[in-house]
Amino acid sequence: MSTLSTTESAGQRTQNLARPGRIKWGRIGAYILLVLFAIVYVGPLLMLVNTSLKTLPDFMKSATSLPTSLNFQNFADAWSKANFPLYMTNTLIYTVSATVIYLITAVFVAFPISRGYVKGSGLLLTLYVIALFLPVALIPQFQLMLSLGLYNNPVGYIMLFLVNPIGIVILVNYIKTLPMDLDEAAAMDGCGYFRFVTSIVFPLIQPALATVAVLHAIGIWNELILPTIYLTNKDYYPITRGMIVFQGVYGSNWPTLAAAVLIMTLPMLVIFLVLQRYIVSGLTAGAVKG
Amino acid sequence: MNNYHFGRGRARLAPYLLLLPGFFFYLVIMLGPSIATGVYSFTDASGIQGTTLHWIGLENYREFLFLGQASIDNYGALFRTLVFSFFVTTIQFSLGLGLALLVNQRLKGINVFRTIFFMPVILGAVIQGLIWSLFLYPLGGPLASILGMFGMRSEFLGGQPNEAIAWVIFVQIWANLGVTMMIFIAGLQTIPEDLYEGAQIDGASRWQVFRNITWPMLTPSVNTNLLLNIIGSLQAWQLFLVLIGYRNGTQVLGYLIFAQGFGQASGSVTSAFRQGYAAAASIVLFCLVLGIGLPVQYFLQRREKRVLG
Repeated sequence: MSTLSTTESAGQRTQNLARPGRIKWGRIGAYILLVLFAIVYVGPLLMLVNTSLKTLPDFMKSATSLPTSLNFQNFADAWSKANFPLYMTNTLIYTVSATVIYLITAVFVAFPISRGYVKGSGLLLTLYVIALFLPVALIPQFQLMLSLGLYNNPVGYIMLFLVNPIGIVILVNYIKTLPMDLDEAAAMDGCGYFRFVTSIVFPLIQPALATVAVLHAIGIWNELILPTIYLTNKDYYPITRGMIVFQGVYGSNWPTLAAAVLIMTLPMLVIFLVLQRYIVSGLTAGAVKG
Repeated sequence: MNNYHFGRGRARLAPYLLLLPGFFFYLVIMLGPSIATGVYSFTDASGIQGTTLHWIGLENYREFLFLGQASIDNYGALFRTLVFSFFVTTIQFSLGLGLALLVNQRLKGINVFRTIFFMPVILGAVIQGLIWSLFLYPLGGPLASILGMFGMRSEFLGGQPNEAIAWVIFVQIWANLGVTMMIFIAGLQTIPEDLYEGAQIDGASRWQVFRNITWPMLTPSVNTNLLLNIIGSLQAWQLFLVLIGYRNGTQVLGYLIFAQGFGQASGSVTSAFRQGYAAAASIVLFCLVLGIGLPVQYFLQRREKRVLG
């Protein structure tokens, strides 16, 4: 691996020095490695597509061969049997409402911490940073929700997602880049605190908001443990829980199961390709403050 | 504190009042419960509504660590957690670095590769797990067919515990490699080009360039990645749930906590709602995370001071 470990600039140099017409073995080697890795990443997905287009008998005969004819029945089956319309709607409701409420409350936490407008800002920020190390909160959290009567309750379930410490840290860091003069000038013009945050800070931190929103929403969308613990009523299931239950029932009917997994994967892939910039920064920005 | 511009007197309270909802949720849903885990670990909390709590002192810890076969199984889970974390951290770290170096070159189509390697990160444990469950389907699934061509066969996730765990390690790395890679890429891009130009003029070999420029300059992302990988893998267990379920000889601590606390264990091992016991297990895991995380953090920071001054 070390022979390929050139960085952009070093690699560029060597190429410039290379005589024209010389075969660039380094480049070819790099591509070979990349393609091998890409196969491990894309292969399983392609196999999923392949399986979803087959009938069950075809799959039993040979799992890897290409389908003889395109069979979309699996998708229709999965759509209705896995209860997609209901579970997708549930997931959507949970994700959107929790993300919106979280974002609004988060800015009102991050802004004064970042500016030092509340006493003990440093300590507050520390409380958010150490979250990574804290013990699992599952048990007392469950006891609390149970005693509040919020067990098996969609509102209670949404409440669990009104927290995201990394999001606060990202917002605090971003707000630090806004000049202090802004606050002063606005206050001079008679702008109040609430109005300043809502009409000036919010629009100015849009990139950070998008990053945090995407990070938070993906987490809720993919959450499996909390619905397993808190939601026993099938009508409240999000899609993740629905999928696991569906797998339990249709575990050996891979064509239908593969179709269901694909239906669940596609929206995520589309969102990923559209919002890639924010997603990458969101999922790696958690790392900014280790 | 005197730099507040938006009025005095009662107006000074605005930031406090508006901060309250967000902080309240954090306190009640995460920070409070997290700390209360320590308190619950000394009780016989059951998680069944209407039952009363009793203070039982260190009983849960005694049982977890010293009582009969169950404690031996617990040490097994503890050991597996460490093994899982070790392999995930070392492999994900080295592969992530290698991939970052590869995709940080100016090659045609390189962005496509970056996208592909990062993609699984967003899919979540359910999809990640199901994709590989299909790929590793022992009855004629893709990998089974390929092995079959060489006259080999395997049960994969349903096989021997060690083999099943090895596959979970593989899927865990497959799923999260993109994050490690991206953090390294971000680090690589902060290295000034003139350093490389200087090395070029001095006629340094690629290995020397890596050893003396890239690696030391990457120190911040090395630290971040190591710490995130260690802590993340010690606490990870969702792929165990999706890929193999709660099966004897494969459990890690995180899964054990969940199964003991919520009795959702499927498969051969049954467990009840033993939330006090699960809380004690959570504290054991917490000690593991601190016991490994803090020394590593200390060591990394000392190294960073030495390397970057």
